[in-house]
Amino acid sequence: MGQAIHIFKKDVRHLRFEIAIAITVAALFAFIETKHALWPVDAVYSDTPASYLALLLLPVVWWMLIGRAIHDEALPGDRQFWITRPYSWRSLLSAKLLFILAFVNLPMLIAQMVVLHAYGFSIGAELPGLLWSQVLLTIVFVLPVLAISAVTTGFAQLIAGIVTPCVIALALASLKFKYQLFLFGITSVFVSGPGWVWSYLIFLIIAVATPAILLWQYRWRGTTVARCFAGTAWILVAMVFYLISWNTAFKISSVLSRQQVDLSATRLISDSSIRRPYMSFRQGGADVRVQVPFQLTGLPSGATARIEYLSASFQAPDGTTWNADEFSWENPDGPGQQLALMPSFHGGIYLTRNDVPVKVHGTLYLAVFGNPRTTQLPMGDHFVPVAQVGLCSARENYIGSSIRRNYLLICNSAFRSPTGLVSYLFGWSDQDISHQEIPGNFRPFIEEGQLSFSPFPADVRISPVSQEYTAFSDSMTRAFGDIQTFEPLGHIRLDFDVDLGKATMYGSNNNEKIRPWN
Amino acid sequence: MTDILRTIDLSKRFRNTMALDHLNMTVPEHSVYGLVGPNGAGKTTTIKILMNILQASDGTAEIFGRDSRKLSPHDFTQIGYVSENQEMPEWMTVEYFMNYLKPFYPNWDSARAAELLHQFDLPLDRKIRNLSHGMRMKAALASSLAYRPPLIILDEPFTGLDALVRDEFIAGVLECAEDATILISSHDLAEIETFASHIGYLDNGRLQFSEEMTSLTERFREIEITLANPVETSAAWPAAWLNREQSTTVVRFVDSHFDQTRTMAEVQGVFGAVQQINVSAMPLRAIFVTLAKAGRKAA
Repeated sequence: MGQAIHIFKKDVRHLRFEIAIAITVAALFAFIETKHALWPVDAVYSDTPASYLALLLLPVVWWMLIGRAIHDEALPGDRQFWITRPYSWRSLLSAKLLFILAFVNLPMLIAQMVVLHAYGFSIGAELPGLLWSQVLLTIVFVLPVLAISAVTTGFAQLIAGIVTPCVIALALASLKFKYQLFLFGITSVFVSGPGWVWSYLIFLIIAVATPAILLWQYRWRGTTVARCFAGTAWILVAMVFYLISWNTAFKISSVLSRQQVDLSATRLISDSSIRRPYMSFRQGGADVRVQVPFQLTGLPSGATARIEYLSASFQAPDGTTWNADEFSWENPDGPGQQLALMPSFHGGIYLTRNDVPVKVHGTLYLAVFGNPRTTQLPMGDHFVPVAQVGLCSARENYIGSSIRRNYLLICNSAFRSPTGLVSYLFGWSDQDISHQEIPGNFRPFIEEGQLSFSPFPADVRISPVSQEYTAFSDSMTRAFGDIQTFEPLGHIRLDFDVDLGKATMYGSNNNEKIRPWN
Repeated sequence: MTDILRTIDLSKRFRNTMALDHLNMTVPEHSVYGLVGPNGAGKTTTIKILMNILQASDGTAEIFGRDSRKLSPHDFTQIGYVSENQEMPEWMTVEYFMNYLKPFYPNWDSARAAELLHQFDLPLDRKIRNLSHGMRMKAALASSLAYRPPLIILDEPFTGLDALVRDEFIAGVLECAEDATILISSHDLAEIETFASHIGYLDNGRLQFSEEMTSLTERFREIEITLANPVETSAAWPAAWLNREQSTTVVRFVDSHFDQTRTMAEVQGVFGAVQQINVSAMPLRAIFVTLAKAGRKAA
C-alpha cells in the first residue's frame, strides 16, 4: 500500500492543474444545480447554457484526468522508464484507482449530495440511489476510458478509442431503432420502458471487460490481447440491440417489474365497427401507411394502458411479406379503451398493381397502470413529497403585467424518471378546470417515453435531480395543484391479426381514405 | 564463477524477421560483459527479453537464476538498467526524480546518490525535459547506480554522447565494476575494449563467439606475408583465416585462431617458403570489422 500511496502522491503532484480543473467543474456543476434548486422558477423559464456546459464539461474533464493519470505510467510500449523499476503491478493499479476515486468519484459524490440537499431531498432516504448512481457513473464514464487508456499511449489514441466505437454503436443503433431515435432521442431508447435492459447489458459488458483488460494489462502488459478484449467488448456493446430483441427485453423487464394484476383476460379486438381501418400512400405510392383501430378489453377496473412498442408485418396471398419500418400509435383512451396502430411498410406499388388483399400480423407491447393516488399541493414555494415522483410544488408565477395568472407545477425526481404515469390538475375550489399529463405542453413527445421500468434505484445521469414542469395560464385564481400518479401494474404482450382487404377497396368505398401522403 | 545472466536457446521472431536465433549466452558474475555486433544483430532484443520488456518466442532467459518472465519487483531492486532510448518522466526535476525513486529501493544510498549527482554535475532543479541527451543519460545512470545494484545492464549507453560525457559515464560505471556484474551493449568498441572483461559477438541473432577479452585479443592477429616468389597456391586455406587478400607476392589475412606455432606451420603448408611474416595484434574495432565483413561474405 505504501508504494501505491507514493505513486498516487506523484500523480497528484504531476496532475495538480488537471485535478484543479476537474474539481472546479464539479463545483460549478453543483453551484448551477443548487441555483436551480433555490430558484426553480428561474430555471424553468431559462435553461441556462452554463448548466449544459457543466454537464458537457464534467465527462470531458474526467476523461482527461483518467487518461493523463493512466498514461503517466503508460502500459503499451517498451521504452517507459518505470517498467524496469521495482513497481508492483498491484500498487500501480491501486494508485490509479485511488486517484480516480479521489478526483472523479468523490467530488461527484459530494456534488450530488449538495444538489440533493439543495433540492430538499433527504440524503439518507436517497442513499441507495446516490450510491447506485455512483456505480452507474463509474461504469459509463470511468471504466470505458480507464480500459481504453490502459491500451493506448497518448491522448490522441484515447480520443480515437472513445469516439470511433461510439460512432459505430450509434450507427448500428440508428439502423435498428431509427424511428425511435428520430422521435425520442437515444436516451429514450436506453431508459424508457424496458430500454434499461439494453443499458444494463451494456453496463454488464463494460463491468466485466474493463477489469479483465486492466488486470491483463497491469499484470502482463499484453497490449495486443488486451486490445482484442477491448475490441470484442466494443463489438458486443455495439451489437447489444441485436443480441437481445425487443421481445426478450420486454420479457426480462416484465419479469423483474413484478406483475401486480392478472392480465390474462386482456384482449385486443379489431374495432372496425366504430372506426374503419384505412390506408394512405406516400413517396409516390411506394410506401403504405395503415391505420388499424382496436379496442382493448379485459383490463382491470380503473386501469389504463400505454403502448410501449409495436411490431407488424404485412402479407399478400402469394406469400409476399413486408416488415413495417415505421410506427406510430394512439394510446388506449376513453371508457372504450380504443386505440389505433399506424405502421408503415414499403409495398404500395405491389398492392396497387396487383390489387390483392393484404393481412397485417403484429405484436403490441403494453404497460398497464392503475391504483391512482392523488396528492394535493397547496399553492406556495414549498415542495411536497409525491410517491413515485419525488418532490412537487404548485405555485403562481407573475410574469410582467399580464392580467392572466400563470401557474406552474414543478416536480423534481431524484436519480430516476418517475416509475408511474403522472398527471396534474390545478384546482379551483373543488372544481377541476384543466387536466393534462406532465411533462406538459413543452415536450409532448416524451410524455410517456420517460417512464422507466428499471428495478434499480437510479438511472445513468450526471445531475441527480431531473425536473419536470408544466405551466398553466388562466384569468381565474387557482387554489391548489393536484398530482395524480398511476403505478405500473404489469406488462402484457398481445398479438393481432387483421385482414385489411384490397388497397383499391379503400379508394372505391371512400375517396378520403386513400390519398397521397402530405 | 556463477552465471548471473543466461539465455538458453533464446529466439525472438518479429513477423518474418528472426531477431534472435537460438541464442545461448552466459554472463559470469563480476564480469563486464560487452555485447557487440552490427546494427540489427539482436543486442537490444536480447537485453529487452532479459529485462522482461519483450517476450521471447522460444527458449528462456534467466537473471539471477530466475526466469526473466517472472522477475519480481524485488529482482528489479537488484538491477540497474539504462537504455539509450528510454522514455523518462519529462515533467520531473532531477531532484524529484531521484527522490521519487528512492522509496522503491530498500538499498538506496542517499549519500551515493548525492555523490553521483555531484560527480555527473547534474542540475537538481532542472526538469528532465530540459536536459540534453547526455545529461539525461547521466541522470538515468545516477538513478540506477544509487542503490548499488549487483547487476547493471546498459543498452547502447554511449550513443549520442560527446567524449567528455562518455568519460564521465564510463567512470561512473567503472566505480561499480568491482561489486557488480555489468552487461553493456554498444557499438563503441574502442570504449568497450578499455573496460570489458568479456565480449560476446552477436550477428544475425546468433552469438558468433563469447569469451574473455584477453583470450579474444590473443586469438586474433593480422598477418601479412611477403612471398619470395609469386605462388599459385593449390592447398586449401584454413577456415580461421578471414578477409584474405593476395597480390602477386603479398598475402594479408586475419587469423581468428592465432597460435604462433600452428599458424606458422599452416602458412608454410599453404605458401611454402616465405620471405617475411608480420604478425600484428588487433584492436577490438578491427576484430569487429573483420568479423562483420567475413559474415557478409559468408552470407
